[in-house]
Amino acid sequence: MAETIIGLAGNPNCGKTTLFNELTGSNGYVGNWPGVTVEKKQAAWRANRDVTFVDLPGIYSLSPYTPEEVVSRDYVVRERPDALINLVDVTNLERNLYLTTQLLEAGRPVVVGLNMCDLLKERGDVVDAAKLSEMLGVPVVEVSALRNTNLDELVNKAVAAGRAGRVQPGARCFSPEVEEALGKIAGIIASSCDAELSRWYSIKVFERDAEAIKALALTKAQLAEAEKVIKAVESARDDDAESIITSERYDWIAGVMEACVRKAPKKLSMSERIDRVVTNRVLGLPIFAVVMVLVYYIAVSTVGTWGTDWANDGVFGDGWLWNPADQAAFETATEEYDAGFYGDKIDGFLAAAEEAGIATDDVSAAVETLAEDPEDADAQAALSAFVAEAEAAGVTATDVPMHDGDGNFIDSNDEVVTRIDAEGNPVLADGQELAVIDTVTAADFEQAVAAQESAPALEDYGSFVPSIPSVIEGWLAAAGASEFVSALVLDGIVAGVGAVLGFIPQMLVLFVMLCFLEDCGYMSRVAFVMDRVFRRFGLSGKSFIPMLISSGCGVPGVMATKTIENEKDRRMTAMLTTMIPCGAKTPIIALVMGVLIGGSDAWWVAPMFYFLGLAAIIVSALMLKKTRMFAGDPAPFVMELPDYHFPTLKSWWLHVWERISAYLKKATTIIFAASVVVWFLLEFGFANWAGGNGAFGFLSLMDGAPEYYTDYSLLAIVGNAIAWIFAPLGADSWQAAAASINALIAKENLVSTFGVIYGIGDATENSVTMWSGFAGMFTDASGILHVGAMCAFVAFNMLDAPCFAAIGTIRRQMDSPKWFWFAIGYQCVFAWVVGLIINQLWELFALGNFGVWTVVAFVLLAAMVFQIARPMPKDETADEKILSSLSESAA
Amino acid sequence: MAARASAAQLPLAMVGESEVARVAHVRGDAETRQHLANLGFVEGSEVKVISRAAGDVIVSVKGARLALNRAMASRIAVVL
Repeated sequence: MAETIIGLAGNPNCGKTTLFNELTGSNGYVGNWPGVTVEKKQAAWRANRDVTFVDLPGIYSLSPYTPEEVVSRDYVVRERPDALINLVDVTNLERNLYLTTQLLEAGRPVVVGLNMCDLLKERGDVVDAAKLSEMLGVPVVEVSALRNTNLDELVNKAVAAGRAGRVQPGARCFSPEVEEALGKIAGIIASSCDAELSRWYSIKVFERDAEAIKALALTKAQLAEAEKVIKAVESARDDDAESIITSERYDWIAGVMEACVRKAPKKLSMSERIDRVVTNRVLGLPIFAVVMVLVYYIAVSTVGTWGTDWANDGVFGDGWLWNPADQAAFETATEEYDAGFYGDKIDGFLAAAEEAGIATDDVSAAVETLAEDPEDADAQAALSAFVAEAEAAGVTATDVPMHDGDGNFIDSNDEVVTRIDAEGNPVLADGQELAVIDTVTAADFEQAVAAQESAPALEDYGSFVPSIPSVIEGWLAAAGASEFVSALVLDGIVAGVGAVLGFIPQMLVLFVMLCFLEDCGYMSRVAFVMDRVFRRFGLSGKSFIPMLISSGCGVPGVMATKTIENEKDRRMTAMLTTMIPCGAKTPIIALVMGVLIGGSDAWWVAPMFYFLGLAAIIVSALMLKKTRMFAGDPAPFVMELPDYHFPTLKSWWLHVWERISAYLKKATTIIFAASVVVWFLLEFGFANWAGGNGAFGFLSLMDGAPEYYTDYSLLAIVGNAIAWIFAPLGADSWQAAAASINALIAKENLVSTFGVIYGIGDATENSVTMWSGFAGMFTDASGILHVGAMCAFVAFNMLDAPCFAAIGTIRRQMDSPKWFWFAIGYQCVFAWVVGLIINQLWELFALGNFGVWTVVAFVLLAAMVFQIARPMPKDETADEKILSSLSESAA
Repeated sequence: MAARASAAQLPLAMVGESEVARVAHVRGDAETRQHLANLGFVEGSEVKVISRAAGDVIVSVKGARLALNRAMASRIAVVL
């Protein structure tokens, strides 16, 4: 039995992809957002592998207005499938039939499936399928793609039609004079075209669709003769040929509607009523703002944070407990343990003993050993010897400062002390008192050591699940891997990929909500509401959705730009959308806010950075719009608004999965490779330290390597080589450059890189030590903190080229090396200029420093202002003129 | 609204909420005109304005709901 190929055609959002998935079992994502399928997809029928379906993009017509229409039209006319299934949304019958009339002319057997009949019944309308079939001249089957009813009958009819190969004559939908003209044209082109496509090409010639008829290679004489026929009709009707065809199609359809459809008395539908409210001039934006605040509150502040903590601290940290009861017990035990401040007591007493002249090295080691193994006899002996000696000397520690779980000093009100000096001593505000333990005696010390031995540990609970790094560490040890291999796998690959995968829970929560808003139909309304705002900045409302998605992750954000039809708008959105702070940039925000205001808990911090990202996009859009490449108004906005509906769980999940998997694929490929490269750069280098032999090798295993061996790494060499770029931004150390490079793997690596380079280890963005270390990088010899330089550095890393994953996505989306490099180049240059201006203005106004770069900053600032303020190179105000002239005529 | 001469054309952008108008003419380049026609804005088709804000409109045409911004809506001349 020969293979039968069936094309699935239909309007956007008519349920075609659902049908395709139902028939083939594939899991293409189905959205309630027009334009989900951009390329055609192909798969075999579940019931009979000899039948292959090709899912075409959703289209309104076969005229080539959009890339989707071109794909579909080329497929139908050139590749000639055996039959076409035209899926029709009956709730939208009139519009859908417009495409049907064109498909009927394409010279292929067509079977029409009437989808969403259940929704129609709810509305109370009735469609006479038999009558419709008679008028269209093709089989019509009532189906429900969502509930899988009648689908087999539909396919069987299509297969039968395809095997019979009998092509329907097509609806005679035009007026007698046009039909007569088409007949004449058919005669003129008869020698040049296939009989099956005679009507198709006759109409295309009549419409003067140059691209469509190119394939016929008509002679000048043929064209001239056809032109006479067309002109005659045009002058008789006083309209252009294309409009005549379009409006006569609709006239004919109106007749069909009258004959086949009985409509229930009209009332405002639920969707229409919702639209009145959510797209309201006054309420539209506030409603949207409330929805978004809610979404981000859940995704970033509550549920998402639990998820991220679980992934970062549990799965990729110390392990976790799957039983919530165990988790609660562990937390209570930890709280009790923390309340004892045993660590502080031990440290305080050891310091006091040291002051009294007692050696503490042995006992420090012993305390550490005992925490691991309370039975260690040597350590116990060392401990009792020390205690005896201290008691004899009468050592008592007084005023020992307390620390919280992050290792920060706390004050008498249990608040974190947010300022420390260069030596790590707390700096107190007026009236603030450090929380201290008044006295620690030798007995207290012994008790503290004993308590530490029984410190609550996750492993002691029944539901403990070890972390991925520890499991892999175990495997490596069991396999006898060398120290080098272990370091590569654990520090390079697992840590790098793990840092990236840690964002999945938060992203999942965010996308579950954003995808719901898209699938239920609200997002297309948001695009419309935001269009009013965005248009002023030269962007279309459709640019807004990718930006919203980018706040979760830039990878699916850039991918979402494909639904923007206008090429200029699409490119510009793909270029700018990653300037919105994504999940991975939030630790950087927390870090800089910690330095500036002593914490990132204030509610306005996160929104402020979203606002700054948005401001950067707007400034960029205003400047780019004035260049020749992007000149012209954004394409006027027209978009279909689908009915509101509650998405099925399957399609909702598929949508979320599409977004997440896009990110996962990048994390496991690009980020994997990049992690290894950066780890290699950081761990390998030349032994150029005092006493080193200058040889190249794996630094940490080389003889005499200092503790901070990364100063001699390849990354330091690269960092030093490009540090001059950052000098005008006020951050001329190789560390700043190296951190910026590392941030390309994942933006939050900026924070962990500082931890590694400064030997703070796993200090987090919430630790005061990290804040002061970060601030130290921007503090000069005289102790002045250059806030401008710090903000410039952060701004640069927020706005420059995104992480490798997003860069890769931009490359695919742009599909042109020239545009890709332009996008990356623009991002980096823009970020640098913004950083320069921030730093130099701060230096000038706050510190009174003036130099060559101050002048450069002012020149660049002036250039930006000029670029924004100068008039459009091309006059594009035609729309306004039409509006004013029409309002005059209406008055 | 009722006082307006029925033959006078006005841009769709100026039609009030809940009003029903008929498309008289579509302006703009051939591509835009064709696209709008494909979406149902052909001479004589009935357009109902569902919501309107500063010239941006949501309309129902040929049984479907479409959002148009002011620039697009002002290209469509209608009669009430």
